[in-house]
Amino acid sequence: DQWSEVEDRDGIRLSWNTFPSTRMEASRLVVPIGALYTPLKEKPDTPLLQYEPVTCKAPCRAVLNPFATVDTRARLWICPFCLSRNGLPAHYKDITQDNIPPELHPASTTIEYRLARPAPAPPIFVYVIDTCQEEDSLKALKDSLVMSLSLLPPNALVGLITFGTMAQVHELGYTECAKSYVFRGSKDYAAKQVQEMLGLSTSGMRTNVPPQPGRPAPVMGPAARFLLPVQQCEFQLTNALEQLQKDPWPVANDKRSLRCTGVALSVAVGLLETSFQNAGGRIMLFAGGPATEGPGLVVGPELREPIRSHHDIDRDNIKYYKKALKFYDNLAKRVSHNGHVVDIFAGCLDQVGLLEMKGLSNSTGGHMILTDSFTSSQFKQSFVRVFDKDATDHLLMGFNASLEVLTTKELKVTGLIGHAVSLNKKSNSVGETECGIGNTCSWKMCGIDPTASYGLYFEIANQGGPAQHQQGPQKGMMQLLTYYQHSSGQFHLRVTTVSRSLSGPAGDPAIAQSFDQEAAAVLMSRIAVFKAEVDDGPDVLRWVDRMLIRLCSRFAEYRKDDPSSFRLEKNFTLYPQFMFHLRRSHFLQVFNSSPDETAFYRHVLNHEYVGDSLVMIQPTLDSYTFDQEGSVPVLLDSASIHPTHILLLDTFFQILIFHGETMAEWRKAGYQDQEGYENFKSILEQPKEDARELVQDRFPLPRFIICDAGGSQARFLLAKLNPSTTHTTNNNYGNGNSTQTIFTDDVSLQSFMDHLMKLAVSGTS
Amino acid sequence: QPGMAGVTQGMSNLAMGGQGQSAPLPMQSQLQGRPTMNQLIPTDLLNQHLDVSELSRPPPQINLPPNSSVTPSPDANCSPKYVRSTLNAVPTTHSLLKKSKLPFALVIQPYSSLHDHEDPVPVVPDQVIARCRRCRSYINPFATFLDQGHRWRCNMCNLTNEVPQAFDWDAAAQKQLDRWSRPEINHSVVEFVAPQEYMVRPPQPLVYLFLFDVSYNSVTNGLLATGARCILESLDRIPNADRRTRLGFMAVDSSLHYFSIPRDDSENGEPSMMVVSDLDEPFLPTPVDLLVTLTECRENIENFLGKLQEMFQNTQNAGSCMGSALRAGHKLISPVGGKLTVLTASLPNLGQGKLEMREDKKILGTSKESSLLQTANSFYKSFAVECSKNQVSIDMFLFSSQYQDVASLSNLPRYTGGQTYFYPGWNAARSEDAIKFAREFSDYLSAEIGLEAVLRVRATTGLRMSTFYGNFFNRSSDLCAFPAFPRDQGYVVEVAIDESLTKGVVCLQSAVLHTTCNGERRIRVMTLALPTTQSLADLYASADQAAIATVFSHKAVERALGSGLEPARDALRAKLIELLQTYRKELAGGNMGGGGLQFPTNLRCLPVLFLGLIKNIGLRQSAQIPSDMRSAALCQLSTLPLPLLIQFIYPRMYSLHDMPDSAGLPDEENGDIALPPVINLSSQRLVPYGLYLIDDGQTQFLWVGREAVPQLVEDVFEVPDRTQLKVGKTTLPVLDNDFNERVRAIVEKSRDHRSKGVGSIVVPSLYVVREDGEPGMRLWAQSMLVEDRADQGVSLAQWLGTMREKVSA
Ligand SMILES: [Zn+2]
Ligand SMILES: [Zn+2]
Repeated sequence: DQWSEVEDRDGIRLSWNTFPSTRMEASRLVVPIGALYTPLKEKPDTPLLQYEPVTCKAPCRAVLNPFATVDTRARLWICPFCLSRNGLPAHYKDITQDNIPPELHPASTTIEYRLARPAPAPPIFVYVIDTCQEEDSLKALKDSLVMSLSLLPPNALVGLITFGTMAQVHELGYTECAKSYVFRGSKDYAAKQVQEMLGLSTSGMRTNVPPQPGRPAPVMGPAARFLLPVQQCEFQLTNALEQLQKDPWPVANDKRSLRCTGVALSVAVGLLETSFQNAGGRIMLFAGGPATEGPGLVVGPELREPIRSHHDIDRDNIKYYKKALKFYDNLAKRVSHNGHVVDIFAGCLDQVGLLEMKGLSNSTGGHMILTDSFTSSQFKQSFVRVFDKDATDHLLMGFNASLEVLTTKELKVTGLIGHAVSLNKKSNSVGETECGIGNTCSWKMCGIDPTASYGLYFEIANQGGPAQHQQGPQKGMMQLLTYYQHSSGQFHLRVTTVSRSLSGPAGDPAIAQSFDQEAAAVLMSRIAVFKAEVDDGPDVLRWVDRMLIRLCSRFAEYRKDDPSSFRLEKNFTLYPQFMFHLRRSHFLQVFNSSPDETAFYRHVLNHEYVGDSLVMIQPTLDSYTFDQEGSVPVLLDSASIHPTHILLLDTFFQILIFHGETMAEWRKAGYQDQEGYENFKSILEQPKEDARELVQDRFPLPRFIICDAGGSQARFLLAKLNPSTTHTTNNNYGNGNSTQTIFTDDVSLQSFMDHLMKLAVSGTS
Repeated sequence: QPGMAGVTQGMSNLAMGGQGQSAPLPMQSQLQGRPTMNQLIPTDLLNQHLDVSELSRPPPQINLPPNSSVTPSPDANCSPKYVRSTLNAVPTTHSLLKKSKLPFALVIQPYSSLHDHEDPVPVVPDQVIARCRRCRSYINPFATFLDQGHRWRCNMCNLTNEVPQAFDWDAAAQKQLDRWSRPEINHSVVEFVAPQEYMVRPPQPLVYLFLFDVSYNSVTNGLLATGARCILESLDRIPNADRRTRLGFMAVDSSLHYFSIPRDDSENGEPSMMVVSDLDEPFLPTPVDLLVTLTECRENIENFLGKLQEMFQNTQNAGSCMGSALRAGHKLISPVGGKLTVLTASLPNLGQGKLEMREDKKILGTSKESSLLQTANSFYKSFAVECSKNQVSIDMFLFSSQYQDVASLSNLPRYTGGQTYFYPGWNAARSEDAIKFAREFSDYLSAEIGLEAVLRVRATTGLRMSTFYGNFFNRSSDLCAFPAFPRDQGYVVEVAIDESLTKGVVCLQSAVLHTTCNGERRIRVMTLALPTTQSLADLYASADQAAIATVFSHKAVERALGSGLEPARDALRAKLIELLQTYRKELAGGNMGGGGLQFPTNLRCLPVLFLGLIKNIGLRQSAQIPSDMRSAALCQLSTLPLPLLIQFIYPRMYSLHDMPDSAGLPDEENGDIALPPVINLSSQRLVPYGLYLIDDGQTQFLWVGREAVPQLVEDVFEVPDRTQLKVGKTTLPVLDNDFNERVRAIVEKSRDHRSKGVGSIVVPSLYVVREDGEPGMRLWAQSMLVEDRADQGVSLAQWLGTMREKVSA
């Protein structure tokens, strides 16, 4: 693929790889200029520079890069962003044309510096554990947590909070006996109260005893009683975890357990707030059910009262929703301001209130893992993956990152869509319009990992035309500066400098040729989902349609009002399909999912890079059968179902193996175990092996489903297939030997395309 | 006379229905009219020397007509150990009582020891309880049987009641029972085992929730360590016969610390601590293991108590949210009820019921001082009342070396049947302090207290209980509620005469319905029968000076708390003058008796008891008494059982250097250590070479005269001479000489509560005082010499002189 080299090198894919040189031209692109950027994409081959970067003078502060003009004799470099001349630092005096520092090497469009600035504290991990769980689930969770201690760096600080009817902060530094601070689950504690009650603020000590001679004064901050290096408190913490019991408060048969998730989270936030502001840390919530008590409750304790659905929210008839959302959003503001991450691990067949809590993870770069139970391997393996390490045995997680965008004057940044919050930084690079989190050139990611990807959106500045004074081909450039706390304890700076040609005179075909339909689809999906968070579902769908039609009108070849003349260039052909599947996806069609699932799906979409995002939008389908080597990709279409085929569906969230009718019968008859049927056996095995391959570096671990034609689980497959043969198109169902009839009112891809072509050529949009 | 026929009939019926031999003789004497009355023997207060041994004499005799009781049992009438009346002859009319100026009140002390086996009371075990349908009185030795013994006449309201079916049936032996052997008609003091109807719920287990102050003060003065160790060592003494006794522990500084203690059979035996800092609405952090059964968690409780001191050893916390802690403790035990036992060395300075340091040295001794004796925060009364409702009783053990606001804190015990124990300046580093507290606390834990108790006093028609004094909550006009019934307190009930009394004998029946600490519902019933009279002379001749002093002690405390110290002292003075005047005018024919001051012999000590009250640390005029000391003394003046109260008002003094040969040695007959004769509390009795023991029941002083010979000092204290004798708190050395042994025996015997007929945990501190030693200590000891002039108080002679002036005026 033509863009993958760039993606490998810079972790970036742009919707347009030639920038329009005028605002007018830009407005006709329909799909905005955007970049899907993975700042910490692992680049094992690139050297890590062990010195401070050379930067342009304030306010530009661009970092020296391969696109700078360097005058080795004059020891000067010209900043390509602001065109200022900067002297090279003294120690660069020996550089020559043949002996240049790594950051000037043409391949160093992305480079990383290890800065002198150390992290304020080792990484912090606060486990927030729901104890309203069945024994086996709690036991499994405890095992996972105890095991995780060995995965943490020895100096990592750990803390423990448990909750049920009440929330308890365990004082791990206390050795005389198990000790915890208990907070009432029904009360909305102010930040200051939490700190006072934990004895963290000075006024909270409430002591008027002068320091006693011979008594050691507390060395670290008072929070050191609760957060200790894992190597120091492993015994204490393991004990505390192993002693954890199911919440002891009685629960009536017609009631849910009282679960004060909101208080527990707010206490966790408060614990880190005083002593560890801007020190990297994760608050890891393990929720076994919904909050039913106190601030942030999402459902009342009465079992007869069901937890909210999308319909309830739509009809605005649930009393807790808005209050809870406000509570968690406020908490999210605090925690992201403090620089800490919130991860949410749900182990529950029902919903836990992810919808209400989503802001916590979304704005801090935390993980969301939605599983049925903590006993599931889906949870266990995903959880372990959080602690993945790099080749130097450092956790693959960064903390307290900021991503700053610098542009040349033609380009302005309009916003970011991804797990970040605005740092409200104004500069010449900030655009007039807003897309996603805008009005800033800098964003904060409390947590960032090597796959975390961010959608960045740009506009073309309102100016007469391209600058005339530059030599050679006109370029538009952006520099992406990512500062973050590496888990080694030092701050790093990742610099990616992107340079693309500016288009020539109006109508320059270079623009259309530079279209990256995959990146564009993902970038547009993020906008659609961002809109869906605030707008009504149908409005968003109409917007998606309108944009697609306009794009086709603009870039397809056709004769006006003649759909049959409609032709798209190769680099546009897949784009309508992506949009077709996006429309049908659970990102935008929410009524078949629970609100928690929707929150989860959208969260993951906003985290992944192009390839995985596309799988989420348009699942892949592979077919296995006799007389064929390995798998063959097939259309995501009901027509792909055959009795003698096995299908492997990857929706990113689910991996599904589907046995056609005949295949299923044979398997049930046990042919695979009989001599002479080795071939059949291997066909049965192949998709499983391929599935294992897919799962290899998938995070979170997908749900794994094996099903047969006609089985109830097959519905997961059917929901994803293009209904080319529905009951409205095909009246001979019951006779579905070769194809599967799908009972749906969805339009099929074919009729979708027909409509699209008709509208695109009509020129009415 | 309506009763006459009934009595006659009753007799004949008994002869038929009763089993014969134990039937009493016909009550002829009642038909013959008035019984013999005590003779009024006047004495001259000014010219006849006060013999202080009179203070320990029994009260004037109760002269009932012969055969007033239905059985001839010697225990048919109530012993003064349990109930004393100020008047052992009751005026028949209100006007006569009013004319006499004497109080009519009962001094009730339902228990005379901490443990049942030390003072057993007959028990009616068969749950057959005969009570009057109308007035609900319990059948007693003064009831009468009618109608062949099928019915009985209530001696309170005269109603005829059916005798219960099973009254003559021994259910255990399944055979006929001799009615005349039933304890309730032979003994005025009995205990009924109550059936289901007497319970609003099954009998609760004994519950102790200990609230430990773990702030800096309490950790550094050793209270936490001593308290924990003492409980640990006393676990076997805590009543637990039914194996249901439950214990709980909380620690308090600026936060609440709960402890969950697992059962001995659980995997993990370690306690866990849960800290709650939300003081506005204290709550329980867990529903389990906070209040645990001693029997099931014995090992883990021991383990916990062994660690408790270490858990807080490095504290710097100076906060105390004891008010919030009490609320939390209440929440924890109120479903069951029980005791909150508070051990604290701090002023509660945080959370609910927060108190301020309000004492100001400048206002001590002024009229403003009295405000310090009042409650500073309404929490303490309202919370106490709430506790009472939920069967929660509070005992305060107070140890602060600084102001602790005993006045406010003592409300908690006051309304919940608890007690305030005060240890000013206590420090465990001083072994005397540690031992005193440990012994007292251990006895405290061993006491067989009652639970969920109510006290009600019923009396013959015409009498009405009007006012109640003591530590309880007066729930309705005649019902006193005690979440826990202590064994070391006395109560006063004033009696009003609403209608003229027509009977020769009236009865007053005090009943304490309670749950024993062994889970049995019982009623302790004490029936006192008193003759009536129309003669003022009889009233005076039968008046009980100790009981009267006790009543006025309670009244003085009430007055001090309500109106102030000066009004309280004035009222005492005025009452004494009134009594002396009344006696002179009405009974001595206005005669002053030649410059003397006449008063009945049986009231001989009343003036000096009133003087003692006025001079008591709780009430005396002084600018030197910290208000906490005063408040604590007021608590004692309003709770001590009569024998201890009298000693607190007029301490006992023994001369040791010249004691009789028998003193300090076991009595030949009963083996008790013989005490020397008590001597008057007057410095005129002190010789410079003497050695004296002064004992007010709370504190003991060994007074060493300024010329005490070295041999005496050597023998008793093991120091070569007086000047090397260290004054202050001490423990006498155990020496191998006869005198040392006898002195120690006397000090010990003087502390013996059982011989005084009371239950008490108090182990008096022993101080050595040298007449020529440290003046503060000397002055303190001298403040007990009630008959002396001291500070702003008058001598006994001056007191009586003033009285004579007022009376003759
Ligand atoms: Zn620059
Ligand atoms: Zn009656």
